[in-house]
Amino acid sequence: MNLEHELRQALKRKAPSKGFDEKVLGRIASGATVPVPAPETRWTRLALPVAASLVFALAGSYYVRQHERQQQVAQAEQAAREVVLALQIASEKVSAVQVKVQEISHHERQVEY
Amino acid sequence: MAAASADVPAPPDDDLLAQARAGSESAFAAIVREYQGMVFGLAYHFLQSWSQAEELAQDVFLALHQNLARIESARHLVFWLRRVTSNRCIDWVRSPRYRREVPMDDLHEPGAMPRWRDPMLDALLRTLVAELPPHPRMVVTLRFQEDLDLAEIAAIVELPLNTVKSHLRRSLEALRRKLAQRGHTHES
Repeated sequence: MNLEHELRQALKRKAPSKGFDEKVLGRIASGATVPVPAPETRWTRLALPVAASLVFALAGSYYVRQHERQQQVAQAEQAAREVVLALQIASEKVSAVQVKVQEISHHERQVEY
Repeated sequence: MAAASADVPAPPDDDLLAQARAGSESAFAAIVREYQGMVFGLAYHFLQSWSQAEELAQDVFLALHQNLARIESARHLVFWLRRVTSNRCIDWVRSPRYRREVPMDDLHEPGAMPRWRDPMLDALLRTLVAELPPHPRMVVTLRFQEDLDLAEIAAIVELPLNTVKSHLRRSLEALRRKLAQRGHTHES
């Protein structure tokens, strides 16, 4: 048995029921229409994966930008805290110096009297 | 293009197509009669249901009537019919209206089978083909009903040539295996 030969015999073209053409013409005459899907091409088949990739790329890019912005905000806040701390330290030093100056000044006035 | 088998008619001439495009009902009817065997055959071998294949084939010709203006030539007409039939068959089996039926050929074509053929083998082969997944099934049907070469099939079903080759090779292997399980020996 030759399979390919047998398949050609088994899968020959087949005539539909008698009056098939009249049924088709009848449906056309009655105004029947069928939805004609847009022919699928390799491009349309690729559309979904490409669209998904674009969405992922955009979402990724947005996430990275948001992350960078959050980092910049955090760095700015850290810098501000450090400046405040430095000012506090400087203020404490100035206060300490001021106290010393007042003490020396008070001591000198007592010596003069 | 592969040599057409003996019972595959030549494409209608471009004049007939031009007449149909101009609105001639008789020219369109002639095109339907010329190609109903091809369209219905593809649908029937794919769906294994006479009523569903007729419904699908009617839809294909209705779609053709709606799209006559886009058909460029008689050759394009044949390609268009094969592609639209293939697409609709594959869409059909994925839709809820698809239902498997037991084919009842003899009700429609009594005595049509040549006497020297084994009708049981033909029925078995059609059943086994119908068990293949949609794309391999359409590749096998186009290959053996329409006698098309693999490049033509790839263009119709819009798959890469290597995929079509692979579908055909695996399908034939599966058919040989299943036939062997049922006691049919074959030449490779």
